[in-house]
Amino acid sequence: MKLRILLPILVVLYGLVPFLFGGNNYIMSILVASLTIAGIALAWALLGNLGGMVSFGHAAFFGVGAYISALLTMKLGVPIFWAMLAGGVGSAIASIAILPALRLSGPYFALAILAYAHIFRVLATEFSGITGGAGGLLGIPVLPTVLGYSFSSKVGGYLVIITIIVIFAFIYDRIRNSYYGFALKAMHESEDATRVVGVHSTMLKAMMLFLSAFMTGVIGAFNSHYINFLEPDYAFNSGWTMLPVVAAIFGGYRTLTGPLVGAVVIYTVDQLFFKNYIPSGHQIILGALLGVMILFSPDGLMPLITKKLRWRRQVKASPSPSQETETI
Amino acid sequence: MMNLNAITVQFGGLTALKGVSLSIGAEEVVGLVGPNGAGKTTLFNVISGLVRPTGGAASFNGANVLTTPMYKRARMGIGRTFQIPQPMHELTVRQNLLVAQRFGTGSVNLAKIDEILAFLHLTDKADRDAAQDLSLSELKALEVGKALATAPKLLLLDEVLAGLETTSKRAFMKTLIELHRVYRISILIIEHDIETISTLCPRVCVLNYGQLIADGTPQEVFSNAEVIKSYTGGGHD
Repeated sequence: MKLRILLPILVVLYGLVPFLFGGNNYIMSILVASLTIAGIALAWALLGNLGGMVSFGHAAFFGVGAYISALLTMKLGVPIFWAMLAGGVGSAIASIAILPALRLSGPYFALAILAYAHIFRVLATEFSGITGGAGGLLGIPVLPTVLGYSFSSKVGGYLVIITIIVIFAFIYDRIRNSYYGFALKAMHESEDATRVVGVHSTMLKAMMLFLSAFMTGVIGAFNSHYINFLEPDYAFNSGWTMLPVVAAIFGGYRTLTGPLVGAVVIYTVDQLFFKNYIPSGHQIILGALLGVMILFSPDGLMPLITKKLRWRRQVKASPSPSQETETI
Repeated sequence: MMNLNAITVQFGGLTALKGVSLSIGAEEVVGLVGPNGAGKTTLFNVISGLVRPTGGAASFNGANVLTTPMYKRARMGIGRTFQIPQPMHELTVRQNLLVAQRFGTGSVNLAKIDEILAFLHLTDKADRDAAQDLSLSELKALEVGKALATAPKLLLLDEVLAGLETTSKRAFMKTLIELHRVYRISILIIEHDIETISTLCPRVCVLNYGQLIADGTPQEVFSNAEVIKSYTGGGHD
């Protein structure tokens, strides 16, 4: 992404948002929650866009990262930011168990990873000596104070999660524009076409799986220190998979910004409006929204917006829109 | 250079290749012909690593490659094209070649890419979408280009001329002859058209029902009674 676009975005994210909403804990907590979904959505989309894999198992990576980080800080006193990194590494290691399923494609991989995700919920419940079992973990340490600034507030949590997302988005962008990214994109259509020119496609897919699991684990770890509580049904809740999937597809999972914008839009609209009108079962609106989006713009929200912007710019440049502008 | 010894491939109850032995020397151009279903593409799949043989031995430049995965063989110098072109989607023509070069040779050499583009008359299309904006003959040229970008020592061409009309076919044949002269690599080419094969290849091998039934100069092979029988369908019982 160009600096000309990136800089204003960073100014808004780090300056304007905390300045405008910092005093309003309700809005900040919704923002942090939506960004948590956005982070998972980004990691999910990385696996889907570059690895060509549809995952229904990201709740597992989220939960594993959350538990590892919580336990490391509570039982061993590991500094929180290091524990969060370790949570990500732990999730990446946990994803090794799903490697044999990489040879499966499409819906078969999705089913395999769905089953895989359940294993961890069971493990977290049964190993109650370490995890606290179904009772969960209480009093997980809050985000620390660094250089006199306490990150344990809502604004602090916001700054941490936004920084995580900016770093992950940067990594994603670098991969996407590398030769590895080209090969990964091409694997979407035909893996043989890449293997025949020397691409170790299975290894590249595995790397994307590790990276996606790592990112999701870090987000899970962040969340555990943000809400200071964990239980298996919460940490491995299928909502941690479904909401990001809906958000990523709604926003456009093959773009970098799509999953992020999708998550913020979907989550805030859901919490601020739909939840008020339909207190239980408001998620049905999300399903409907997704359905409408797929009907009108199968590529999602962001491709739709960029298409409209480009079209308008070209209409301004030349009085009559040429045929070509329509097909871009 | 490439040595196949008694290669057998079975798909369930079907024997696609039955004890095929074949050697291809350095800088040799060999034609591979045979009726539909004779096992030509299966043999390509065995050499390039897409299919693992049930029996036999395969070595490339002295190294045993029988169980070597496809991506490693590409890096060793075995390049191939697919009968149905398989451009890398969502990439431009140039990016296709760059990916092939980066992963096939381990490094990027932009001048070399430009050279291949020019050689295959793809320079004008270099920045177009490979999967969407190319004609059939351009797609076939791109198939060859991708393989060339991996700097192969042995190039397997699977019906690169099939489906082209006469003019582009002639032009493409010239390019292939030029390719062999410039790049000095071994080429194994599957082709149905006997005239094309006779023009391009000093040596021709014939497969029929998974067995190698003839190996020699075009004159020898195409006057061989068994070969004629296999082509005219003289009652295989």
